[in-house]
Amino acid sequence: MELEKASARLAPRSPWQAVDLGTKLYRQWAAPVLWVWLAFTLVPFGLMLGWSLLAETLWPLFLFWWLKPLWERPVLAWYSHALFAETLTLKQLFQRWRQYALPGLASQLTWRRFSPARSFNTCVWQLEGAKGEQLSQRLRALNSYPSNRAGIMTIVVLHLEQFMAMGLMVLLYTLVPWQFSLEWSDWFYDQGALQMAIASATLYLVMCVTEPLYVACGFALYLNKRTWLEGWDLQLGLTRLGRHRASRTGSTLLMLLALLLPLPEPVTAQPSPRNNEEQQQVIELLAGPDYMPFEERTERQWKDRDDDSDSWLEKFWKHFFDNLDDDEQQEPSDSPFDIPDAVLWILFWGVFAGLAIWLLIKVMDQLGLGSRNRDSTPVIPTHVAGMDIRRQSLPKNLRDATEQALGANDIRLALSLMLRSALAELLRRYPVALAAGSTEQQCLRNLQAAHGEPLPILYLQRLIQAWISTAWAHRPVDAETVRTLLADWEQISAEEAANA
Amino acid sequence: MTQPTTLADATRLAQDIEHHLNQVLIGQRQVVREVLIALVSGGHVLIEGVPGLGKTLLVRSLGKALELDFNRIQFTPDLMPTDVTGHAMYDQKSEQFRIRRGPAFTQLLLADEINRAPAKTQAALLEVMQERQITIEGKAFTLNEPYMVLATQNPLDQEGTYPLPEAELDRFLFKVLIDYPDHADETRLVNMVLDGTIRASLDVESLTPVTDAAGLKAMKTLSDGVLIDDEVLDYALRIVRATRDFSGLSHGASPRASIALARASRVQALFEGRDFVTPDDVQQVARPVLRHRIQLSADAEIEGQTPETALGRLLEQVEAPKQ
Repeated sequence: MELEKASARLAPRSPWQAVDLGTKLYRQWAAPVLWVWLAFTLVPFGLMLGWSLLAETLWPLFLFWWLKPLWERPVLAWYSHALFAETLTLKQLFQRWRQYALPGLASQLTWRRFSPARSFNTCVWQLEGAKGEQLSQRLRALNSYPSNRAGIMTIVVLHLEQFMAMGLMVLLYTLVPWQFSLEWSDWFYDQGALQMAIASATLYLVMCVTEPLYVACGFALYLNKRTWLEGWDLQLGLTRLGRHRASRTGSTLLMLLALLLPLPEPVTAQPSPRNNEEQQQVIELLAGPDYMPFEERTERQWKDRDDDSDSWLEKFWKHFFDNLDDDEQQEPSDSPFDIPDAVLWILFWGVFAGLAIWLLIKVMDQLGLGSRNRDSTPVIPTHVAGMDIRRQSLPKNLRDATEQALGANDIRLALSLMLRSALAELLRRYPVALAAGSTEQQCLRNLQAAHGEPLPILYLQRLIQAWISTAWAHRPVDAETVRTLLADWEQISAEEAANA
Repeated sequence: MTQPTTLADATRLAQDIEHHLNQVLIGQRQVVREVLIALVSGGHVLIEGVPGLGKTLLVRSLGKALELDFNRIQFTPDLMPTDVTGHAMYDQKSEQFRIRRGPAFTQLLLADEINRAPAKTQAALLEVMQERQITIEGKAFTLNEPYMVLATQNPLDQEGTYPLPEAELDRFLFKVLIDYPDHADETRLVNMVLDGTIRASLDVESLTPVTDAAGLKAMKTLSDGVLIDDEVLDYALRIVRATRDFSGLSHGASPRASIALARASRVQALFEGRDFVTPDDVQQVARPVLRHRIQLSADAEIEGQTPETALGRLLEQVEAPKQ
């Protein structure tokens, strides 16, 4: 591998920058890579689709999907050569197929088929050709910390593939003329040959885009990991520097090696001014962004408990848990939180049990099993037919208030007061479910439906009739009728109170 | 023929018509009541229900009981506007253009499966419904009173249908939902057919006319005198206005709905034998007036709500009139 020929800059990158490089590789070579993909997959796909349609089964298409690691091999082979300025023809790819396609394929198609790092590990099998224990060691080394994020990249591309396939399928369904009676919903439960063909073709079309992209990203991650581990960038830098200096002194490389070697003492106590200058250049070169990419990183780590903390809360918890931990080793202390163990235990388990019960009640309420849900007693409304029937809104002495309204010849107000009082009292005695929009007649109907027709409800019926005649028909009842209704109400209230 | 002169007469007559129709259309009392309210209010009705529930029978019975002309148009995708309204044709004998009147020249027009015809043909009914006149070759023909369009649509078979535009929907006073009769009514219906009390074809020949166009006009005049209190009118308006910014509705009802609700409430009161409207009357007719004038928001539809459930919530939330 001649690193100097690499058409991409080999520098240590973060995994996401490496994936970015992969997408750039794909964009640069999208057309030739698509040809490679089509050359190796179009015929197998066509055969399997035909088989699938004839046999009316999805198994051949599943087989095509399962063989994805095999279809990815030629694409990777093409990328790996193209990066180092060698363009393989389709003929060469077919000729070398056995060399690059078979290493590690058996494991990739069986127990490693669902490996999330497939695109990364394929590079190891295919490009390095390692086997046995050596291969395992290579994989361990390349997959060592820090993570290369190949798994996450696989998940992202997988989603991309599914969403693109779904989107394309929906688009196709919308374009199918209605005479075909092809409903999108049918796809889920009634797949005819046409549906199957559409679904398979869309998935294949999407794979034409996602598979070369996936391979390119995996390859870029692989290059990046090797750059970090094997210092490819350093190697390239030194090579370039060596060539540059060779014509002048040929001593720079020696100086670099001397610097890089961990010598306990300098060889020369007083270097010459020229040597100093070169040494400074090398240091600057190595300190440059190509070789020492500094990056800020924030990490969270567990730290030991700070025993010297002055926080009273921390002291309390420390004391609390210490007490819970060791009953027998307890020693007398002068702590301000010197609480007996039993109290702490009760406190701890009390809070725990309380939380558990609260959580249980909430869950049962959510599931509709709670006692609150079983309680069928309706909530007494505060307003009926727009009338405020809360106790505080009602007059303390109904008779006085009614007489006052009658004195002012306001029959409507007098009846309104009586109706509000009667409703407030009756709904407390005979609860029913009512809404803000319930009319007075609805209220009456609900009361009759729920509680039949006891005397107070019959009275309410008379009162509502008088109210409707006055309020809505503009035919106010006379004052005597109001007084009779009032007297009847007082009598009913007295009887109800006596019975209670 | 009976012509009511007082409100009590009008109520009796309304109940008489209702009774006659219920003898023919068994198990659809609510539908009969709503169609009659719409007829007396001078409005049109959109009837929605699956086939076989007696929609055509209802209209035929109505025509027979009220001695009104009746025409039926089966709406199909190739129906042209002139097939509905009529057109001018050249008469070679007289060498003049002659107007051929379409089936819309009647008093009760059954527009069966109205949503099967394209928008252009549906729009032919707009002028008929709103202006009660038909213009052919620039000449306007006024239609006889009373005039009512009863359009039907099937809620299930939506393939190849053209949803009615909002402007046309708004011109229907009521949208009436016709559902299967309950078990007892269906048993009664089947028994009557088996006994020979009514024929299987459910013909309406046995139906005797109860009143005529003049009687209906008198009922309408009397219903105009039904008192509607300011508070009750305000309640009706609050219900309509609430549809415009109610959660779960993307758009609400127009002012035409407010007018329709007030008018229908009056007739409902008349049918109940009252000369005044109560908040209950408003609630009774609110659903048929509003259900076709509101549109559910996308999220409400996803949640599985229907216009009926949304209106139920709305009517619960709008406060009944205050004292």
